[in-house]
Amino acid sequence: MTDLDVTGAVTAAAAGDADAWNALVDRYSGLVWAVARGEGLSRADAADVSQTTWLRLAEHVGRIRAPERVGSWLATTARHECWRLAKTASLVSSVEPERLGGGEAPGADAQVLEAEELEALWQALGALPPPCRVLLRVLVADPPPSYAEVSEMLGMPIGSIGPRRARCLERLRELVAPFASSDGQPTPSGSRP
Amino acid sequence: MSDRRDDEALLGALGRAVSRHDPVPESVVAAGRGAFGMVSLDAELATLVYDSSLGEEDTRGLVRGQGGGRELTFEAPSLTVEVEVLTAERRLLGQLVPPGPGVVEIRSPGGSVTVEADHLGRFSAADVPTGPVSLRCRGEERPPADTEWVIL
Repeated sequence: MTDLDVTGAVTAAAAGDADAWNALVDRYSGLVWAVARGEGLSRADAADVSQTTWLRLAEHVGRIRAPERVGSWLATTARHECWRLAKTASLVSSVEPERLGGGEAPGADAQVLEAEELEALWQALGALPPPCRVLLRVLVADPPPSYAEVSEMLGMPIGSIGPRRARCLERLRELVAPFASSDGQPTPSGSRP
Repeated sequence: MSDRRDDEALLGALGRAVSRHDPVPESVVAAGRGAFGMVSLDAELATLVYDSSLGEEDTRGLVRGQGGGRELTFEAPSLTVEVEVLTAERRLLGQLVPPGPGVVEIRSPGGSVTVEADHLGRFSAADVPTGPVSLRCRGEERPPADTEWVIL
């Protein structure tokens, strides 16, 4: 978690400071990517939405009314672009894009069991209904947004985030079982009978 | 109900699963950084006010193309840009309002194509790139205007 002065970075970027801009990109790229992928876009479409979102911010950076909430602004812009892309998808040739690289490179220290558990979790996440998938992706973005940011970008009261998170994790537990290896449950389902 | 500690552990594992299986590509971060240099602070911003792909009703009574393409309207203080994108053909037809000659640069992160608008403000382009695109419109009697970036 970086300790970025977000308001200062937005103000500096608006004045032409490229370092401040890059700091914003480093801080919020994970969030924008999480939104686009959580909305169900392919990696290629998510890359287009990410880039468009940053271009939109570059256009508007001098006009942002609440610089301290630029994270919510970015996430909301990305969501709108996702929905727009989904609506135009029937017009666009739907070639399943090649992978953009990255991903699935096993860490040297990863245990096989841990890898299987993460694989099962990843599969289950993809099977969640979109509202849960978006919420959980956003919550585990690196670095994660504050609940105030989540509230604003997803249009839900702050007090409802915790309960919804709990329900979505419960759905995830139910879904993860079929993907889990026969050796055991990757995630214990607590005190449920 | 599962208790809160289980939820924290599961969320932590989910975070590791996501960073393992779907990390942000380096190219995406680089494109975000590069966006800063693609925007001109000298130009007026022509904001997207109509996009036929959203299924909105166009209530402004403008004459629309018959081509069945995706129609977009951008408005800046001194210029309106109407565009029809024939998505499958990757062709683009446009109209500057008020009508008049000009130069239209069709910009994308991968490069740009420049075409001329005729004395009625009409322009067209082939081989329109996919992904984010913005039109930079210049004319003799008005300030340059850049349309908002849209994915075509």
